[in-house]
Amino acid sequence: MGRILIVDDTMFMRTLVKNILFSGGHDIVGEAEDGVQAVEMYQKLKPDLVTMDVVMPRMNGIEALKSIRAGDPRARVIMCTAVGQEQMVKLAIKNGAKGYIVKPFQAPKVIEEVNNVLNP
Amino acid sequence: MKEVPVKIEVENRWVVSKIGIGEDRIHLHEPVNLDIPLKSIVDIEEKKNTLHIEVKGTPPTGYRVASVPKVLAALKRVIIMSCTAYRLMAYFMSPAVRGGVLVKDAKWEKGAIAVLKTGIWFVSQQKQISIPLGDVSGIELTTREVNGKKTDVVKIDHVESGGVSTSYVLCPLTTLQILYNFLKDATKEMDMNGDELDPVAAQVSMLVYSGMDSSAIEKMLSISNGELESVFDTLLDLGIVEVVCTRREVQLTTKGVRFVTDAAKHPSN
Repeated sequence: MGRILIVDDTMFMRTLVKNILFSGGHDIVGEAEDGVQAVEMYQKLKPDLVTMDVVMPRMNGIEALKSIRAGDPRARVIMCTAVGQEQMVKLAIKNGAKGYIVKPFQAPKVIEEVNNVLNP
Repeated sequence: MKEVPVKIEVENRWVVSKIGIGEDRIHLHEPVNLDIPLKSIVDIEEKKNTLHIEVKGTPPTGYRVASVPKVLAALKRVIIMSCTAYRLMAYFMSPAVRGGVLVKDAKWEKGAIAVLKTGIWFVSQQKQISIPLGDVSGIELTTREVNGKKTDVVKIDHVESGGVSTSYVLCPLTTLQILYNFLKDATKEMDMNGDELDPVAAQVSMLVYSGMDSSAIEKMLSISNGELESVFDTLLDLGIVEVVCTRREVQLTTKGVRFVTDAAKHPSN
């Protein structure tokens, strides 16, 4: 079980990810709507893992990932983005993302990926 | 001719036999005792450890053989590479994404793509992967970074054991275009305009895709059971979903109320 921070600018996706991870036995410690909020909440909550949307207002997911990892090089972040933005994978991995989920996704695979990152 | 042990279905019974695999033909031994030129094979379908081989004719004739995976792999490779099919040499990555999660050890493999009557086959030295055309949920001509360069690829999504997997095919653009058009045409019955669904119905579809049940969907979208039922009716009419179970809602009878009231009085409760 892990303490997870969910970052996505749409409430629909946050609720979906929250439901999936909760059904997988994880604790959702916080939800952020953009990269700026994600960085602030990460510092405050110190979650075990972050699921991070890529395209968001104010600060995008890649910038937020960089910022979080700069403050905590051991931070575990799984990027989450829409179909057609797979080219972001390399950039995210290069910047320390531990996994990558493409929307739309399926609950069992998401839980499996989160568990793999939490227990490598 | 290399001989391999198989079981062949004859008159609804599985019979122990052998198949000879040659360069241009296979031979089904007794009791079938038949030479099948590879060029006369128009389709193969794999289900668990059985292979259905369709030979052209009027009407076409089908043979079902069963064997261990190693034998079936050898048989499939020979048939796919020589049967009558639209075939092209290509690089493929399958699966590249499974259930929305990137497959970490996915890599480009050099091999062939064969498009048969009922499915697409990816064949390399190590793998034979089939995607039944009926399971193809999406086809897209798109670009992907290969060796640091944006490259045209065909992306194929298909449903596999209830989950969705994505594969990529890479070959010269003109061939890709032919493959794309062929697959689009072969699966056109599943195309939608995109404006058939209202936003709530689209969100419900997304949640069903993600594995949410009715109760979770109602809570997440703050809609009543009646509203959800109505959305389900729309999705059923469009052929987007199918009913897998019908859940019942019940209320207690007088007898039930009495039972619960009595049970609550019991010291162990």
